[in-house]
Amino acid sequence: MQTDLDDATLAFLLARSGLSPTPTQKAELKAIYPHIAAMAELVRKPRGRMAEPALTYGFAEEDLA
Amino acid sequence: MTGIPTIADAARQIAAKQLSPVELTRACLDRAYALNKELHAFILLTEERALADARAAEAAIMAGKATGPLCGIPIGLKDIVDTKGIATTCHSRLLCDNVPDSDATCAAKLAQAGTVLIGKTATHEFADGGPSFDLPWPPARNPWNTAHFTAGSSSGTGAGVAAGLILGGIGTDTGGSIRGPAALCGIAGIKPTYGLVSRAGVAPAAFTLDHIGPMAWTAEDCALMLQTLAGHDPRDPASAAHPVPDYTARLGAGIKGMRIGVIHHFHEIDHKVSNGTQRRIDDAITTFRELGAAIEEVTLSPLAEWHACGTLISITERAAAYDEWARSRLHDFGERVQQRLLMGALVSGVDYVQAVRRRRELRAELKAAMAGLDVVLTATQQSEAPKIDAIPMWDVSQKPSFTMPFNVAGYPAMSVCSGFGENGLPVAIQLVGKPFQEATVLRIADAFEKASASRARRPALCADLVSA
Repeated sequence: MQTDLDDATLAFLLARSGLSPTPTQKAELKAIYPHIAAMAELVRKPRGRMAEPALTYGFAEEDLA
Repeated sequence: MTGIPTIADAARQIAAKQLSPVELTRACLDRAYALNKELHAFILLTEERALADARAAEAAIMAGKATGPLCGIPIGLKDIVDTKGIATTCHSRLLCDNVPDSDATCAAKLAQAGTVLIGKTATHEFADGGPSFDLPWPPARNPWNTAHFTAGSSSGTGAGVAAGLILGGIGTDTGGSIRGPAALCGIAGIKPTYGLVSRAGVAPAAFTLDHIGPMAWTAEDCALMLQTLAGHDPRDPASAAHPVPDYTARLGAGIKGMRIGVIHHFHEIDHKVSNGTQRRIDDAITTFRELGAAIEEVTLSPLAEWHACGTLISITERAAAYDEWARSRLHDFGERVQQRLLMGALVSGVDYVQAVRRRRELRAELKAAMAGLDVVLTATQQSEAPKIDAIPMWDVSQKPSFTMPFNVAGYPAMSVCSGFGENGLPVAIQLVGKPFQEATVLRIADAFEKASASRARRPALCADLVSA
């Protein structure tokens, strides 16, 4: 996974999110990105396609009324 | 009235008509007016409401119609909890003028129980990212030393309880925001099982990590508050339809034969705690052994993995919750929350779902590790409270949190004062139970408090204000 963030990619991500940070905040985001990328790597495991997320839900009695 | 009573003490005296709720409320308000200039525990003091509540409680007591042990007890509500007709600002300029037209469920339940609302307590902006000095109100300060941090985000409730401005209060906890302030302010605080206490009417931080819970001087007081707060609420889609037991029934029954697992690697390797915190953890383990509990070692995935899972979920869910304002009013937030919201742009949809898949695995791991155990134990905070002006802006680059794992798992977790560190400030242990086993956590915490001396000492700053 790429752990550095170039200006063009950051600009794209911010535009896509509709956010307008200051130049200082953009520089801070570039500095913090390796930590975000490292966390994203930590939650990637060789779990295969069948592993369910915690958000999978069932229907309760109230849904069936 | 002598000293600052616990909720349990005050309830006994009120029930016996030896303590007037009006007198108790007046004493709390007097301390609040005297100390809030230093502590900034409250955004708003609701004196008129408090005295009306106290008079109503007193009338109910005198008429033999008391509403239970919280009748006449002065409390505070974190200012992300909606209160009908009373400003609820979320400590943010975005909601400076917000006056809700209904109570959050937790506020309504406490009011129905006859509590006295002293005021709305300081928080981090939208329960995120403090301490901040660029908001309409200053951050709360630690009553044990006002140059130091309370932790957050239930900072005002923590400071207010420790200094006796309130006897209990509401905190919320997305990654440790009940347990952190409880630890650094030297009080007790429990994050219940996810879904046990309704989130309805409380500003969200991260929907699947958010918990509401009590903060008070003792575990027994937390049990009394939780008794009122717990229970199913159709207004909260995550609310659990689970029976509510009697949380005080087994307090004082001892813990002989109970089994406590210690996650040594969390606080000794993954994020090594200070010497003072480690000593108090070791002392606590000795105390539990002396009380007859069996101690075992527990190994889980490294703390950093739990932290990464929770942090990625938290960043994303928060960014989604506040997306509309982040796009249109980003610079009306304080600097710290602006940064948190901007980070949402850096986490992809796949990152989020991988974190949620990891969450299921981690929860299964904790369930397996706790088979045969009553609770597990680790640190709550790394050390005593740091200076309030020394808190780094970017917590994602810091060492992993001891509290986040149990938001990820949704398990009940409690911070209990374990004594004082090398600098004379409080330190704490964290006790974690199985889902909906709050009664067990509270029982063990209560036994520990009663076997240790930590509940005998209040911050020096409030000593002059307590009648001898």
